[in-house]
Amino acid sequence: MTTTAVVEKKPNIVLNPKLCVFCKTCEIACAERHEKTYVYAPRLRIVRRGHASLRLHTCIRCPQRYCIDSCDRGALSYANGNIVVDLEKCDGCGACVKACPFKGITLHPSTGKAIVCDLCGGDPACIKACPVGALSLKWIEERRG
Amino acid sequence: MAVEKYGGYAGKILIVNLTTKKVHVKELSDGFVRTYLGGNGFAARLLYDMIDPRVDAYDPTNAIAFMTGPMQGTTMPTAGKYYVASKSPLTNGYFDSVSGGFIGFLMKYAGYDGIVVTGRADKPVYLYVHGKGEVEIRDASHLWGKMTSETQQAIKEEIGDPFAMVSAIGPAGENLVRYACIITEYRAAGRGGMGAVMGSKKLKAVAVGSDGTQEVKIANWEKYQEFLEWLNEEIKKNPATGKGLPTYGTPILVKSIGVQFGAMGTRNHQFEFDPNFNYENISGEKLNAEYLVKHMACPLCPIGCSKVFKDTKGKWKDAQSEGPEYETLYAFGSMCYIDDLGAIIKADALCDEYGLDTISYGVTLSFLMECYEKGLIDDSFTDGIKLNFGNDDALVNLVEKVALRQGLGDKIAEGSKRLARLIGQGSEQFAIHAKGLEIPGHSARALRGMSLGYATATRGGSHHDPRPTGEYAGASDRTAVEGKAEWVIGTQRFTLLGDSMVICHFLERVLGYTPTEHYVKMINVVTGFDWSFEELIAYCDRIWALERCFNIKAGMRRVDDTIPRRFLTEPIPEGASKGMYTDEATLNKMLDEYYELRGYDKKLGIPKKETLQKLGLADVAEDLEKYIYA
Repeated sequence: MTTTAVVEKKPNIVLNPKLCVFCKTCEIACAERHEKTYVYAPRLRIVRRGHASLRLHTCIRCPQRYCIDSCDRGALSYANGNIVVDLEKCDGCGACVKACPFKGITLHPSTGKAIVCDLCGGDPACIKACPVGALSLKWIEERRG
Repeated sequence: MAVEKYGGYAGKILIVNLTTKKVHVKELSDGFVRTYLGGNGFAARLLYDMIDPRVDAYDPTNAIAFMTGPMQGTTMPTAGKYYVASKSPLTNGYFDSVSGGFIGFLMKYAGYDGIVVTGRADKPVYLYVHGKGEVEIRDASHLWGKMTSETQQAIKEEIGDPFAMVSAIGPAGENLVRYACIITEYRAAGRGGMGAVMGSKKLKAVAVGSDGTQEVKIANWEKYQEFLEWLNEEIKKNPATGKGLPTYGTPILVKSIGVQFGAMGTRNHQFEFDPNFNYENISGEKLNAEYLVKHMACPLCPIGCSKVFKDTKGKWKDAQSEGPEYETLYAFGSMCYIDDLGAIIKADALCDEYGLDTISYGVTLSFLMECYEKGLIDDSFTDGIKLNFGNDDALVNLVEKVALRQGLGDKIAEGSKRLARLIGQGSEQFAIHAKGLEIPGHSARALRGMSLGYATATRGGSHHDPRPTGEYAGASDRTAVEGKAEWVIGTQRFTLLGDSMVICHFLERVLGYTPTEHYVKMINVVTGFDWSFEELIAYCDRIWALERCFNIKAGMRRVDDTIPRRFLTEPIPEGASKGMYTDEATLNKMLDEYYELRGYDKKLGIPKKETLQKLGLADVAEDLEKYIYA
């Protein structure tokens, strides 16, 4: 039996590690946009290994949706290209954080609820803040079926 | 929290005693933050009160302070730094060192403006500050002897927080090398042996978790945004911060200082420009064209002067390091007469891993090379190593020996001042240090201000007490004697201010080489103080006097305010600055003027009672009186 694959286009934040200087301006800008103040709750983080290896950890909108499956309370869903957290239902158990192999979802340090990149409604603060233009928005295709 | 009406502060300082394992949280008062601002100011006051300056730097009662200023936690350009201070084993006086590193941000988000560690643990430990504020003193026996990068990685895995930040010492700090540094990522709080103080406390590392909940507020959000926009624009427009430093990093200075000014110490300052040495070979242009792997930056820095370099060919193939910076190119390159960038990169990488200050190591080694070539020491002293200028194998191989204090390394680990005392035979003449701290690559002979600056600096031979940049740029005539004292005081005020907010001194090109209204604005928009320019100057002079009083109590007087004999007696022999130097009479004339302007006693260099009272340090004046006449 064959099923029809649904093809969907969705945007994603990608890092050019060659350009990135590891200044973390994007992380602080992200937290500033979402929290309206300075607290370390970024939706994307960059990790450095050795002298020159850099990796971006953020939601990559993977087709497997590990986080949604891991949530017993049904607090996570997918809508319009983003993982959406239902703050009423989320109890901060951290199952999604453990389930995500991309370290894309984290818990807010103060509220304890899950936080995840929402692309700032189409105008990501991180991309704007990056002083070297290492972050960009990339449209990717996803087949589900 | 008493200071929550101000922006920029967490309001608490953590004080940890490793002997008793007791942790104390000091709440900051309104008066305290307005008097001592942050970073340098906080540390100077706390250490003045906590330490008896007469004790040995390795005594358990010595304390080491990791501090932030009001800018950490905000998006102020170049705020990604933290500040370390303690009594130095190299100078025996008050010492501070500033390093790039996100740990300052995490400290603030964890709810602390600073961490002060005192006492001594009975076995190796590391300090783990959770984001929620709890503190753990954890066993580090299994990390003892490990390299800095390995230690940082191991601790991050152990605490299960890949986004945490760790400041660690390497084997050099553990073995009390007098100029051991503290490494965060690959950036160093390099100078003055802060790493050795950590080693003496058996403190391998300080780790801060990434789950901090403290909010960092801005007092005047609109004015702050306006200021940021203006500052970022100015940084981009300025040719140095907008182009030179981002493209080449600090190595861009090699050609301009070495060739154009003829002011880059060469062969242990026998020359400052040597026609036989090819400065081109260690220049930023060559590094950029043949060795550059990647541009890097300290956190929140739009300048980004840090570079990762790798040697892909030649004798030291595959050597890779973040750096070398200009100062390392001076200390390892022209000073040791080595023009193979591969060797310099290799030695730089090893110094990062073992935790050594590259300036002090390179300058001490070049001092030994001169002693060796002059026949003051022989092969039995050097363990058979032919310590001629240009010996790149010695430069690379001795890093490990110094860090582990083996053989010749044990002697080099003491620094040039103590080595000169050991070797004697007139070698003090060319031991390049001020107050025991090796002098960096900004000439005290070609820049008049630096001669007075190094002499009067609290830390001695540091280019971050007085600043050379203004004299290079021509903002002050580099040959003038008249008015130099005032200029030097200005640059010293600026560095103190930078270290109090804990921002990068490269902003001087944009904001002013000496304090300007811009700095007042910067402080006021973030904190919400209503400081005037006069209050700003009073603040700078207050902290400078406080540091000076620490040194006075440690036994320093005017006689210690001097520069190496070579700089006072031998003119520069070659190059664009040929013939320049500051003789003793000129230095003394400038010193007299300096103390007069500062309000210090001319005979001994001690701050006068009325000066201290005027600066709001009446208690210190009383303390000093008791101490000096007791």
